[in-house]
Amino acid sequence: MANITGWTGKLLRVNLSTGDIKIEDSMKYNKDLIGGAGLGYKVIFDEVPQGTKAFDEANKVVIAVGPLTGTTAPCSGRTNITSLAPANPYHAVTDSHMGGNFGPWMKFAGYDAIIIEGASKSPVWIKIEDDKVSIEDASGLWGKGVIDTTNEINKIMGKEACIAAIGPAGEKMKNLASIVNTVNHSAGGHGGVLGSKNLKAIGVKGTGAVHIADGKNRDWLDLNKYMLGEIIGANNNHVVPSTPQTWAEYHSAGSRWTAQTALFWGAANPPVETGECPPGDLNKVGLRTQKAIFDLGEVAEERTIKMGGCYSCPIRCQSNLHVPELEKYGLTPYATSTCINFSTPGTAMLNGYSDGENKGEVALITKCLGSRLADDYGVWSNYGQLHRDFRYAYNSGKLKEVLPKEEWDSIDWSLMESGDPGWMLEFYNNLIADGEFSHLLDGPYELDKRWNLGKDYWTGSGNNVWSKMAYPKHHSNEAGAQVGALINTFFNRDCNNHSHMNFIGAGLPIELLKEIAGEVWGSPDALDAPKNYTPMNEYKAKFAKWSIDRNMLHDSITLCNWVWPMTVSPSKSRNYRGDLALEAKFYSLATGIEMSEEELDLQAERITNLHRALTVRDMNTIDMRNEHDTIPEWVFDVDPDMKPFTEGTVKLDRDDMQLALTMLYKEYGWDEKTGAPTRETLERLGLKDIADELDSLNLLP
Amino acid sequence: MFEKEIEEFIEKVRTRREFLKMSGKGLAGITVTASVLNLIGCTKEEPTSTEVPTGAAAFVIPKGLIVSQPNRCTGCQRCEMVCTVANDGKVHPYVSRVKIARNFNYGSEMTDNYRNENGYFGNFLMTPETCRQCEDAKCAAACPADAISQNEATGAWTVDENKCVGCGACVQACPWNMPTIDPETGKSTKCILCGECAENCITGSLSLIPWEKLEAMLRRRGYRLS
Repeated sequence: MANITGWTGKLLRVNLSTGDIKIEDSMKYNKDLIGGAGLGYKVIFDEVPQGTKAFDEANKVVIAVGPLTGTTAPCSGRTNITSLAPANPYHAVTDSHMGGNFGPWMKFAGYDAIIIEGASKSPVWIKIEDDKVSIEDASGLWGKGVIDTTNEINKIMGKEACIAAIGPAGEKMKNLASIVNTVNHSAGGHGGVLGSKNLKAIGVKGTGAVHIADGKNRDWLDLNKYMLGEIIGANNNHVVPSTPQTWAEYHSAGSRWTAQTALFWGAANPPVETGECPPGDLNKVGLRTQKAIFDLGEVAEERTIKMGGCYSCPIRCQSNLHVPELEKYGLTPYATSTCINFSTPGTAMLNGYSDGENKGEVALITKCLGSRLADDYGVWSNYGQLHRDFRYAYNSGKLKEVLPKEEWDSIDWSLMESGDPGWMLEFYNNLIADGEFSHLLDGPYELDKRWNLGKDYWTGSGNNVWSKMAYPKHHSNEAGAQVGALINTFFNRDCNNHSHMNFIGAGLPIELLKEIAGEVWGSPDALDAPKNYTPMNEYKAKFAKWSIDRNMLHDSITLCNWVWPMTVSPSKSRNYRGDLALEAKFYSLATGIEMSEEELDLQAERITNLHRALTVRDMNTIDMRNEHDTIPEWVFDVDPDMKPFTEGTVKLDRDDMQLALTMLYKEYGWDEKTGAPTRETLERLGLKDIADELDSLNLLP
Repeated sequence: MFEKEIEEFIEKVRTRREFLKMSGKGLAGITVTASVLNLIGCTKEEPTSTEVPTGAAAFVIPKGLIVSQPNRCTGCQRCEMVCTVANDGKVHPYVSRVKIARNFNYGSEMTDNYRNENGYFGNFLMTPETCRQCEDAKCAAACPADAISQNEATGAWTVDENKCVGCGACVQACPWNMPTIDPETGKSTKCILCGECAENCITGSLSLIPWEKLEAMLRRRGYRLS
């Protein structure tokens, strides 16, 4: 390709064992696999041998983005990180994802991807300034939190550089550790892998451009305006406001489109009124989501300085707050949410808050304090499971049993018992200390092996562990019945998939959503009304496959799957239809390669198959149905007095879910007995080399 | 006191607009107080006498008034991208004529007290910067190739790419380091007051108030612009 646009066409390979630094062609991956996760899976498949463990020197970390990162495409600020995952029982491949500025900065420095291989003997960080790349001594940074580390590197590289760093959790090779850039944008599960390589941080800045196709700049601006004016909604693409409004035909109390008359960013100077933000007004899209009051309640309004979020994103889903009470705990009076919002730390307050309010001031202070500590220490919550694991271990008496008496006595439990925010310091400080308590960061699989948590831990409803793959549910059976359940079985970590949820939760009436489902997946029966489920059908299988493939597309191209895809819109004039060809339209204008929606979906399907093939290889079995795609008992045993497919329950049926798996495998062209990709399917998708490799390992059905 | 602020503001806008129409001289930005923001419909809050300065500024351009309000800036940086797509046909924040990325982390300077100062690592506040269109433009004076002159139609100090030799004298001369040499073209870039950044700002932190709308706003409050 003579004139590469969208991508930079280059990738950076840094070997920490040898100190070798190389620049290579990235287009050999990007042409058929888009970039991001697609590139990541291919590199891991080709270069990391079967049987490698996450913390082995042979494991690699692929930080990669796609052709839309750094281009102004809405919600294109995310960075995909692919590597073996220590929390997974098989150390199977996962992606972790972070927003912020890192991915775009990488592009402006000239790289679509950074591959980190080997391991350094002593602590280092990597400095990237355009084509000047060096490995630097980090012995003075080891032990520091993410914020101090970042600041020290900014002093060297300049204040505009973006730094991705690990905190103490990553240094100590905890399974639940994150990689964090720009204060609070964290990628979960691979922090320990950087720790195992003695890599504290990567700093990047660049003076380069990301090009779009020649002569297409007006088309590009017009496409952005069209999307912001007519198509996009609020956070999670909720397309109706949360309150009745003059312009709105519908509203829904659960919507994240919280902007309304007389609701403010109250700590701004002067305060900013969110007001009504109807479709068509490009200059108000960023005001639609007042996330602080959504997460923390009305008490947060007067403390809201503004909304924050990722590079290039018009949907600001993180809230930046003024909380002077934090100074009492040694922090500054400023707070911001973690990537998954403010709520997680509160789950560790087993006795509630001292003022008795779940959304009061004490809860706000507690959650802000916990969020700050989690991001600075580089602790990954495993989508909230970490705090539920603590709850389970404490309430079951297991924690007292396993902690040495001296350690138990050293913890000030009275803070938790009295609902004091100070419990957050106690909780997180003990997590990153070296005692038995810190094994909560092992994640469910290793923790159960160590503490013997018992059957209830895995099967009990409310504990939310999804499967023996050791991750929690994430928009599962309560989100589209079998559709959400299927999506939750597919990945090697919590599925992080919002393709289905954004549509289901958009806020539009169910009749309208079913109509749209009919247009997209072939029948309105693809979608059931909430808690009023019907047995499995082929349209639900199509819906589930499409959701997985679009997630793969977004992690590869790279767009945020918390807002994309645009299945619906807030525009009455469009009868609330979205535009599912938008990814392809942006891809075509960025790269200059004409791409249809169908062609791009096919590329996504190829990436899904690559992920599946890697999982088969990592687990060394083709029996995905029984070994990987398992569903927890609580899905079938919830509401003991009710039958599946009756109104009022999210309960599913065991045989029906086995049928659902068969139908999903059929949609993908996988072996219907095992769920493993067949040679025929892999070859249809241009993955003959993958099929040959699996064949040589006797891993084809 | 508010009355005096408002009259001063209207007088400045009037003068600059007249200058712009005639010769394009003298277009420096105007500091905007809370009471002025209230006057021109940028906030519904009634100002109080204890209101501290907002850091807001206004720029007179041919289409109307560009108003910059830091309190509304969320740091999405789309203004830099839009600027360079519109003017350079590529996304190139480094050469953007409006600059926010460099103030994103730590404000205009990084100090030991950064956790309490401007920027995302401190109090989250950041201010987009752009060319002040100085009356006495040091960039133009420093240019050895006479490549920077005031555009007759817009009044903006504009780089003639045919004359620019990319020496960087303008970058050094500007007190705010606004011009940037594009490493790909070797030419200087600076703001030409096209207004694209404001038109595409997702929160109205940069906003464009067309003349007609501004006059109507003022008239409703008992003021006249001309």
